Amino acid sequence: MSAPILQLSTDLYSLDPSALTLTLTNNSCYFLEVVKRWKLIICFVVCSLQKEVEAELDRLVGQEGTIHTKMLALQRMGPNLQLIGGDASQLSGMITFTCSLAENVSRKVRQLDLAKTRLYNVIQRADDILDLKFCTDGVQTALRNEDYEQAAAHIHRYLSLDQSVIELSRQGEESSAVDASLVMLQEAEQKLKVIVAEKLDEAVAAVDLAQVERFFKIFPLLGLHQQGLARFGQYLCSQLASKAEENLLLATGGDLGEKRALLIFADTLTLLLEGIARVVETHQPIVETYYGPGHLYTLITHLQQECDKQAQKIVDKFIQQRGYHNKFQIVQSSMMKSVPGERIEPRYVCVELDPVLTEVTLMNARAELYLRFLRRRMMADFEVGDAQSITQEHQQNVEKLLKHCLLSRTMQELIGYYIPMEEYYMRESVNKAVAMDTYEKGQLTSSMVDDCFYIVKKCISRALSSSSIDCLCAMINHANSVLESDFREVLYNKVRQGFPATTLQDIQRGVSSAVSLMQSSLQQGKFNTLGIESAEHAKAAFLNDCSKLFSQGGGSGDQAKIESCLSDLVNTSTKFKDLLQEGLTELNTTAIKPQVKPWISSFLAISHNIEEEEFNDYEANDPWVQQLIVNLEQLMAEFKAALSPVIYDTLTSLMTSLISIEMEKTVLKCSFSRLGGLQFDKELRSLVAYLTTVTTWTIRDKFARLTQMATILNLERVTEILDYWGPNSGPLTWRLTPAEVRQVLALRIDFRSEDIKRLRL
Amino acid sequence: MSMEDYDYLFKIVLIGNAGVGKTCLVRRFTQGLFPPGQGATIGVDFMIKTVEIKGEKVKLQIWDTAGQERFRSITQSYYRSANALILTYDITCEDSFRCLPEWLREIEQYANNQVVTILVGNKIDLAEKREVLRQRAEDFAEAQSMLYLETSAKESDNVEKLFLDLACELIREAKQNKLDNNDTAPMPGEGKTISYLSCCSLN
Ligand SMILES: Nc1nc2c(ncn2[C@@H]2O[C@H](COP(=O)(O)OP(=O)(O)O)[C@@H](O)[C@H]2O)c(=O)[nH]1
Ligand SMILES: [Mg+2]
Repeated sequence: MSAPILQLSTDLYSLDPSALTLTLTNNSCYFLEVVKRWKLIICFVVCSLQKEVEAELDRLVGQEGTIHTKMLALQRMGPNLQLIGGDASQLSGMITFTCSLAENVSRKVRQLDLAKTRLYNVIQRADDILDLKFCTDGVQTALRNEDYEQAAAHIHRYLSLDQSVIELSRQGEESSAVDASLVMLQEAEQKLKVIVAEKLDEAVAAVDLAQVERFFKIFPLLGLHQQGLARFGQYLCSQLASKAEENLLLATGGDLGEKRALLIFADTLTLLLEGIARVVETHQPIVETYYGPGHLYTLITHLQQECDKQAQKIVDKFIQQRGYHNKFQIVQSSMMKSVPGERIEPRYVCVELDPVLTEVTLMNARAELYLRFLRRRMMADFEVGDAQSITQEHQQNVEKLLKHCLLSRTMQELIGYYIPMEEYYMRESVNKAVAMDTYEKGQLTSSMVDDCFYIVKKCISRALSSSSIDCLCAMINHANSVLESDFREVLYNKVRQGFPATTLQDIQRGVSSAVSLMQSSLQQGKFNTLGIESAEHAKAAFLNDCSKLFSQGGGSGDQAKIESCLSDLVNTSTKFKDLLQEGLTELNTTAIKPQVKPWISSFLAISHNIEEEEFNDYEANDPWVQQLIVNLEQLMAEFKAALSPVIYDTLTSLMTSLISIEMEKTVLKCSFSRLGGLQFDKELRSLVAYLTTVTTWTIRDKFARLTQMATILNLERVTEILDYWGPNSGPLTWRLTPAEVRQVLALRIDFRSEDIKRLRL
Repeated sequence: MSMEDYDYLFKIVLIGNAGVGKTCLVRRFTQGLFPPGQGATIGVDFMIKTVEIKGEKVKLQIWDTAGQERFRSITQSYYRSANALILTYDITCEDSFRCLPEWLREIEQYANNQVVTILVGNKIDLAEKREVLRQRAEDFAEAQSMLYLETSAKESDNVEKLFLDLACELIREAKQNKLDNNDTAPMPGEGKTISYLSCCSLN
């Protein structure tokens, strides 16, 4: 066991890097030589130690083999157990010793390793200290040469040095020298900071973008990220401000073209927001390159302050020049029901409202677009840093900035006023359309319904164009309210009033206007789906736009909102369909029935108790059915021209039901001969053939009972019915009850009632 | 709509001053959590939860509104079609209680006259900071013929009960309405008297 080597390693272990450091600062070349030698020594020590330990272990292992043989011998020696006992304990002692020896050696090796690491640290620190000296010299030169980039680079190096090294250096013998250079560096740092700030301010004042950017890039090297961004932001803001003021002055002062004047505030706001977006786009690369990712947010925070300020000015001017609040108040008091005193004619209010409402929605749309742009840019900038590390906090900061900035709040306020005004515009315009709707003779359609739906659609479209989902939903709600209560009531009352049924002329009139109302109601149904479709499109576009931004689930929430509001509108359209159905039934009973009924009951005047001669007469000169068909044709032609195909079809269906019921009643009041029955059969066939051509509904089913009655009236004998009844009915399904069959049989004057009674049906 | 798997659909709208805990109540009920530090609601938020009551599936559409004045016109547009309103105040904030008459005027003006209104005093976990006595709120609610309930969104106290009680009440009214409507055949045009409730119940 060679003690000196172990001793050496222990010394090495206790070596204090700071002690070394002291020597280092004085003579670095010498020091590096020393370090090299130390390294060699350490390697040598480690190697020899390892060898020694191995040898020792080998030796012990060799011994173990011998002991083992001995033990076997001992075992055989049975009686000498005591001896073995002694040997065993000796062996155990020896093993314990070997073990502790091995442990001891390995601990030394570990210590050596630690010493080695420390040595490397020492070298690293020595490098740092050398750099420190280099920086101290370099920064002076650079400052003298006004090479601020170079000076900042030196300071940056100094700032990134390990502060503990600097502290250690100051504790040594040469502390005064180190202190001096440190003081120099710190002075240089302060000086540089002041110079750079001054230079940047100068450049800002001189509006010298090149110089502004030059010094802006230096700030992060001095660890002044926030300050750099703030000053740069200030510069950009002042640029934006002067441009914005100029634009606003142009907007309010100059004479503009008629068309442009109506949207001048929206245009001015657009210029402002586009300007800021352009600034962000232009300077984002320089911020990312020199400040690193994640700093765009800070810059935008500064820009947004100016944006808020300038946007507020534009909005204030808008409110003032357009009399926005004033208009709102007029609307407000107009909507309150019983306001005494003078009430401004709604028509004038609406005319004035129209362009302002359009302008407001445009302003909001621009703001939304702008905020979406900012969100996209900021998130992308965070993502460049590390896509995974976009923390909840980042997201929340961005949301807070965008949702609660003054621009957002101002727009929310504008929209808050917009909604009641748009609602008023919608209600009043609908009222006007209803009031102006007068029936003109000879005119089948009324403009009222079309007008109303045009207005509602216009208002919803305008709300949609604001890009605000809440605004859109609110207007859908109001539209629904107008259609479902106000407008539906008007329609209903018109339907009711439309059928006084005094004279045919009146009925005709009522029919006509009801027809047009109904038709338009159905068009309303179409509008609804159209409206929904267009909203669906808009929704798709919206959600497409926003999908990235609302990836946290906000998007689906907005979608659900719109869907829910639209489904209310769909419910309303269902109610309109019900109203239509009811109106048509009403139309049928009050307008069609009074006309059709006498045409059918004239059947009674035509005798069906006839012989050959009269039958032939009828053949030559049709007594009834041809005239009925002509009459029906005329009536239906009018409807067909005025009604949409679906309504017309529904109406014809109602009418054919009516005809079959009336016919049935009439036939049961007549009496028939054999040939009269045949005549009726012919007449019925003609009628059914005609009705089949005017409607797409299957008529045969509605006329099944009548057809069966004709069959009965055509029988040769009473008992012939049995050929068609019961088991013999074949594919025929009887719609007549046995009692009814007997009743019809009894209409034949030539059938004896005893024969009919005797029938077993 | 008829394809969907529910027997009743009700719209519930939460109103009341900003900061009284409307959003927290809705989140607690629909998501079972008490959201930490979310910002004030912007406009309206919309959530859906389907519950089962006596074997019947009830779909609740819950509209959570912003309390601030500038969102008032948006929230007002939801009153008319609401089946129930949850008027919320904060028991630790006298001010939020004093604003209730103003909210009642809104209800009077915009809601349909069949709407079920329930007054809710939230934040009862902050008992030591209580500013509005329970008796006072109860008296007020009774005078306005509203239901009254005290809740804590934070401790999940009475939140489930609030929505389930409301759903029960709405079902009861819907059934009652259906009976009434069958007695006297409803006429179109009397839209205001045809219950919204019966319109959305499906069979
Ligand atoms: N202690 C307590 N705080 C609550 C409770 N409910 C809501 N809050 C707090 O009240 C504040 C406003 O809640 P929020 O739901 O946003 O109110 P809203 O404006 O009515 O939607 C938040 O800070 C919540 O944490 C509650 O039951 N107990
Ligand atoms: Mg809220």
